[in-house]
Amino acid sequence: MSHIHIPDGVLPVWLWLGGWVVAAAIVWLASARSGGVDVRRKVPLVGVMAALMLVAMSSEIVPIAYHINLTVVAGVLLGPQLSIVAAFVVQVVLALLGHGGVTVIGLNTLMTASEMLFGWMLFRGLITVLGPRRVGLASGVATVVTLALATTMLVGLVAVSGVGAATVRETGALDPQNLTFAAPFSDSIFSVGLFSGGERSSSPAVPVRRFATIVYTLGPLGWLIEALVTAAVLSYIARVRPSLIFEGALTPARQALPGDEHGRH
Amino acid sequence: MDIAVVDRSAVSGNSTLHGAATGAKLIAFSLVLAAVVVSTNLFVVLTITIVLLAAVAALRLPARSMLPLAAYPAVFAAVFAFASAPDALAASLIIAKAVTAALASVTLMFTTPYPQVFAALQRVTPGLVGDTLLMTYRAIFILADKLGDLTRAVRLRSGLSTGHPVRAARATTRALGGLLLYSLDLAQREYDVLVLRGYSGRLRVALRPSRSRAADSAIIVVAFMLLCLAALWRIYWIRLISYSWILLAVALVGLGVALASRRRT
Amino acid sequence: MALRSQTPDHIHPDDPTAEEVVRISCVRHTYEDGTSVHLCGLDFVAHRGKRVAVLGPNGAGKTTMLYHILGLLKPQEGAVSVFGVSPAEQWATIRRRVGVMLQNVDEQIISPTVGDDVAFSPRQYGLPETEVRERVNRVLKLLGIEELADRVPHNLSGGEKRKVALAGALVMDPELLVLDEPFEGLDPTSRQGLLDLLEHLSHERGMTVVLTTHDIDAVPEFADYAYVLAPGGTIALRGTPAEVFANAKVLADGNIKPPILAELFSRLRERDASAPEMALTIEDAAEALEGWKRRSLLPETPQ
Repeated sequence: MSHIHIPDGVLPVWLWLGGWVVAAAIVWLASARSGGVDVRRKVPLVGVMAALMLVAMSSEIVPIAYHINLTVVAGVLLGPQLSIVAAFVVQVVLALLGHGGVTVIGLNTLMTASEMLFGWMLFRGLITVLGPRRVGLASGVATVVTLALATTMLVGLVAVSGVGAATVRETGALDPQNLTFAAPFSDSIFSVGLFSGGERSSSPAVPVRRFATIVYTLGPLGWLIEALVTAAVLSYIARVRPSLIFEGALTPARQALPGDEHGRH
Repeated sequence: MDIAVVDRSAVSGNSTLHGAATGAKLIAFSLVLAAVVVSTNLFVVLTITIVLLAAVAALRLPARSMLPLAAYPAVFAAVFAFASAPDALAASLIIAKAVTAALASVTLMFTTPYPQVFAALQRVTPGLVGDTLLMTYRAIFILADKLGDLTRAVRLRSGLSTGHPVRAARATTRALGGLLLYSLDLAQREYDVLVLRGYSGRLRVALRPSRSRAADSAIIVVAFMLLCLAALWRIYWIRLISYSWILLAVALVGLGVALASRRRT
Repeated sequence: MALRSQTPDHIHPDDPTAEEVVRISCVRHTYEDGTSVHLCGLDFVAHRGKRVAVLGPNGAGKTTMLYHILGLLKPQEGAVSVFGVSPAEQWATIRRRVGVMLQNVDEQIISPTVGDDVAFSPRQYGLPETEVRERVNRVLKLLGIEELADRVPHNLSGGEKRKVALAGALVMDPELLVLDEPFEGLDPTSRQGLLDLLEHLSHERGMTVVLTTHDIDAVPEFADYAYVLAPGGTIALRGTPAEVFANAKVLADGNIKPPILAELFSRLRERDASAPEMALTIEDAAEALEGWKRRSLLPETPQ
């Protein structure tokens, strides 16, 4: 939901480099523990979810410049370990498509992955409390809470980075146009050479407090839409293929009926 | 979009790019991508686009299949640009960057059989990530294909155009669920076959001998020059900005020559 | 071995010492939607060098059975053993010895050219490139499709794709060949070619072949043994094709139409008790009918 749309060279080096290091470490950990057959079996699921997040991001639902990201759906289906891998792959492909910078792959991976993890944990918790029949409710609530948390993380990131919110755009909501693409390069460490040019920043950095006010007031609309979509999709899957949701991501695959074996027995 | 179209072009094409060593193409691709990432000048980005287009034209690559694929990211770049860019110029830049990066990827995939590309990628990525990247690449085509089928089916059955947004939204999400499960089964079968036939997370390919060392070097040199131009215009943009049109003009002349030579022969 | 009383007890191999390549004992698999396939009743056994056909109506679990042999499904109950190990757990140790052609060959051809596709397995197993080339050429020749090597699989006809997939399955010279509906979409010449090839492979190389098919008429020609699955997966019948097709009741329960010759002979028997025994190949049938005619022309044949 909230991957950071920042061109390269906006964030301070320690921040994006730190993001890369941490992301690389957890991706490596997630990958290194993947020797088992059962994890390997899930690779098509991870691939499809990554591709689905990419395709969903490119399909607008309503003409308010809002696109769904399906991070909670993916998180619930993939579980923690595979979510990390999927998040990384999504960000790499996005970067290859020029959508977001290369330096921010690390931070974006962390954001997307934590969103998926939050979603997964909350959903699991709520299902335990509410019972397995309330998939729609559980996933809706999990989505809203997850997105609220993710937004808070984003605000925190903006505060920490010290570059001002002008560079950060929360994609889930209908944003006012003052959250601009243009970057105040002069404020960042990369104020020289390669990274100081091109766009003139047309608006001054928005103070963190104002940024927070904006995303917390406009965000909920986006959260709600995403929650409705997530609830609908997960309820559908719970009805048609429950094991994907209830058996946890790493249980052995129980496949759909293969080949010609459709029909009642 | 059928993945077979990409495969067919990659294998049966006979151009200089087809004959070049995979390594050279990957290096050139990274350089072009870096040029796009570095660039903040619309004219420079368009220059890169046109150089790529000229190559497509001169080498008689199947432009009719390639261009729609390359234009695809423009859809979601446009969403982002619409909401966040301060002015039309910045918005164009965002879209141009996305399309150019995609055009570079598409050119690579249309001239190189995918196992060659992924064998190289998997050498430098952790096991599960490389594995997932391959599956994501295959799944994007499956999904895009099925999404088209499904929206058509939904439109036929409930009618997105009836002016009932709620009903339309419900039909869309149901379609999304169906799409997800279908794609999952297909991806699962595809992966099963890979595993049955000996795949275990690393594609192995026979090295394709380069047809001409000179062509390999030429490709890399051109790509490197593009990166140098992009970097120059980024660093000395104040002094160079008024000469940006020269790059574009030269590139356009190149494209014209390519098109003309194509028509003649 | 627990055997049902109504089925004749075959000491399965003609050679009791023959090695068991595949054995499935009472495997149960429950799918998402609650449908359950219970491959039980009789054990499924395939011995080295034998050709085994699995028959059954749609949805009986034929493909499920093959997926268990290939380790794609893990038995929730019961046991599967291929070359003495559980395929779901140790597929990596046996996969070089198993060749597979699944039903949808389109999904099975994964490389951008025919040559590369056939070379996929040997390359994955790390064979040197010269050996890979040699194996590919050999198997393409065996199937008579050398001229396809540089083609893009997508443009091939259905029958050609099937041959390419089969070449990919045979390239490692497997000891066990598993085929799901291999005759589907083949023209009569290709079908006969495949039948001859399978016979050659099992006789000359001792390859074990397990296949599922709807092509009942191919079974007598092809199979050393046949298994019949009843709906739900119960292994209802097994034996040589002649033994299986003689059991009209079980076949009818399983919704299987016997081969046309089998039906012809049982009809003749119903009408005329002097009709000959069932013959399942054209050759045998012609001979039997000729003998019958000769006998009926001779008035009062002694005995």
